[in-house]
Amino acid sequence: MAVVSAQQVTGERSAGGFWAWLMAPERRGPLLVTPALLVLFVMNIFPLLWSFGLSFFNYRANRQTVPTFEGLQFYQRVLTDENVWERFQTTAIIVGSSVLVQLIVGFLLALMFARSFPLRRILLMLVLTPMMLSFVSVGVFFKLYYEPTFGLVSWALNHFMDERFVLLATPAGAIAGIVFADAWMWSPFVMLLVLAGLVSVPKYLYEAAEIDRASWWRRFSTITFPYIKSLLLLAVLFRTIETFKLFDIVYIITEGGPGSATETIAVYVYRQAFQFFRTSQSAALAYIILFVVIVLTNLYLYAVQRREQEVT
Amino acid sequence: MMLRPRTTAWSQALLSGAFLLGLSAGGAYAADITITMAAPDWPPTRFMKEEFDKSYKSPDGHTTKLDMDFIPWPSFYERVAASLTSGEQKYQMIVTDSQWLGSFVEGGYYMDLTELMKADPELTAIMKDLHPVLVSAYSTYPHKTRQQLEEAGEWPAADTHYYGFPQFPDTYVTYYRKDLFCHEGEAKAFQEKYSRKLPCSYEDWQDVDWTDWKNIGEFFQRAKGAPLGDGTADDDFYGIAYQAGKGYDFSTMAVNAFIWQYGGGIWDETQAPTGQAEGVVNSDIAVKAFDHYLSMLPLMPPVAKTGQMDIFVVQDLFMQGKVAAIIDWVGLGEPVLDPKTSTVSDKSAFGPAPGLRKEDGKIDRTGNIGGQPFVLTTWNSDEVVKEALNVVKWWLNPETQKKFVANGGQSGLRSVMADPEYDGLRPWNRAHKEMLDWQRDVWHIPEFFELLTQQQEEFDKAITGQISGKEALDAVAKFQQQTLEDAGKIE
Repeated sequence: MAVVSAQQVTGERSAGGFWAWLMAPERRGPLLVTPALLVLFVMNIFPLLWSFGLSFFNYRANRQTVPTFEGLQFYQRVLTDENVWERFQTTAIIVGSSVLVQLIVGFLLALMFARSFPLRRILLMLVLTPMMLSFVSVGVFFKLYYEPTFGLVSWALNHFMDERFVLLATPAGAIAGIVFADAWMWSPFVMLLVLAGLVSVPKYLYEAAEIDRASWWRRFSTITFPYIKSLLLLAVLFRTIETFKLFDIVYIITEGGPGSATETIAVYVYRQAFQFFRTSQSAALAYIILFVVIVLTNLYLYAVQRREQEVT
Repeated sequence: MMLRPRTTAWSQALLSGAFLLGLSAGGAYAADITITMAAPDWPPTRFMKEEFDKSYKSPDGHTTKLDMDFIPWPSFYERVAASLTSGEQKYQMIVTDSQWLGSFVEGGYYMDLTELMKADPELTAIMKDLHPVLVSAYSTYPHKTRQQLEEAGEWPAADTHYYGFPQFPDTYVTYYRKDLFCHEGEAKAFQEKYSRKLPCSYEDWQDVDWTDWKNIGEFFQRAKGAPLGDGTADDDFYGIAYQAGKGYDFSTMAVNAFIWQYGGGIWDETQAPTGQAEGVVNSDIAVKAFDHYLSMLPLMPPVAKTGQMDIFVVQDLFMQGKVAAIIDWVGLGEPVLDPKTSTVSDKSAFGPAPGLRKEDGKIDRTGNIGGQPFVLTTWNSDEVVKEALNVVKWWLNPETQKKFVANGGQSGLRSVMADPEYDGLRPWNRAHKEMLDWQRDVWHIPEFFELLTQQQEEFDKAITGQISGKEALDAVAKFQQQTLEDAGKIE
């Protein structure tokens, strides 16, 4: 049988040539996927595995010494480094504040845009603009905006104050500056999600509530909120994951200062890896962050599944 | 008639042979060489590229192309480091900060040029003509101080390895508004208030110490609408500014100057492994010097309170007419004189940076050298190395150097600085020449970036008033002691 099969295969190849054999329906699918898989492997999977390996070796990218195996030493070092926990705390404060502001602003904007009013489309487009800008432009824009000598914020407040208003001079002010910039950029995203939820609420429910003379709060808590809560959760999770990785805006506006008051964990990893060249230590820290992000992503996927179940 | 064709054929054969020989000979000695150079994107390197394209002719007959990879300053270190450590071997030459020498020599990326310099009389002459401060800071690794090199008394100094040549030597100088400092009314008011002359001429600025500088800061601080020179201040106006930024080395360079002028020290790499960080970095003298630096920040534009007053912000504030006098690098002077970028282009003058007056009345202006050397990388072929050194000789040729100086650059060659024309080529040249003699450099070891970044962070906390100067220096000393012990640089 094996001989016959081989002959058959040879016959097929000689009939249509190599190209026909290659493009046979059973091979076409894998063939089309192969380039994408190769790119994925070279650009993502291999570096991921390589850096994971490095996190167990004593290696610095700016030295030509042979790496030595150190086991979990760098994970231990990272987890006992008080700077790491300090940066995690800073990140948590920024994430918590920023996501909260985004939720409130996004929700209010969505309530506004759920109704029709003149120039609604144009206004909606304008409100969506910030999230279409690059992080770098937003960072530079806010850096200039907060600049105390000729920036707009100080200039405006100077009319009511004796001294120049210097927002970025204190840790609290600098955090507020970053939170405001991030919230300005991403509140429209939350608004979009909530707006999608709001427009999906059947009108007859509101009509029935009106007949029942239900209060505004009753209508919101029993009709509107149940429809948008999964989307809100989705927004919270998505924005939490993204803000957790916040780098560009922080690096441009404050460079992590004053001192290290606004240095997020992403900025800290960057400094460890590309300024201090503590390659192994930064790889270990990056994997710890990856673990946190994976946990958050799973929560996100769970929320998506729940939403799908609700819709169906 | 029969001979002619035969003769022609013979001569044609000879000619063809000669032509082919010529071609092959030319192929052996005249090649197309591309030198890719990593360079920060700013006028001194832009000029080098323009001048190279205009005037460089390879002495070996090569067709040489200088392909400069202009990288923005803020990401320059990271880009160069990423390229070198990735192993892509992209650059044949690199404009480098002197502090990077240790990191990239130890990494095996920068080429030791000592033997090539010794073997080449032209390069030897260049090295002997360079100001010793620049040879010390830009070329030696392990680092040798100027004093060590001068004590050696010969070039090359024994047990010394040389790596770089000056691409652009830079120093701190004072930029000031002559319309304000030479204003009769302002001068009279200043004299009455402080019993000191308001500096106007270059010679006046040679007598300016930190006390005068502080007085200038107080004196010229004016609210919007207050009289200023011949008019009134159209916005809040400030007297002085120097760098106090968290990024890169934007406070360390200024703080080091204060510490050295007071007689304190930073961790001394030439004393490794016995030289300590604790007790030196946070000595009482260093704390006093740092406190002096901090004491003048409240007189500066409010951005100083944010720890973001870097060299570019300082330059910008001056160009926008918000400050009477600043201390900044010579390399940032050219845009100040350009009416397209500066509102004070016709009102600016330059003097030496202030310093600390000692008991004998003399002013100590010790400062931290700026500017950059350029180096060769280790993976170049012999042919490329030879041609890269030809480029070095072309660049450090007095004629090229004078053109560079006339276009806002600087020269490290003593013969060029001694030229009677030199002082008049640009308005800051006299100050640069005077300041160059006072320069020292920060560390060159591979751990420099860790030391620098942590120090910048602690300085930033002190600058923004979160901690005291002493607390900052204590934290810096502790970190440096630990890091350098871990690296085997302190026993």
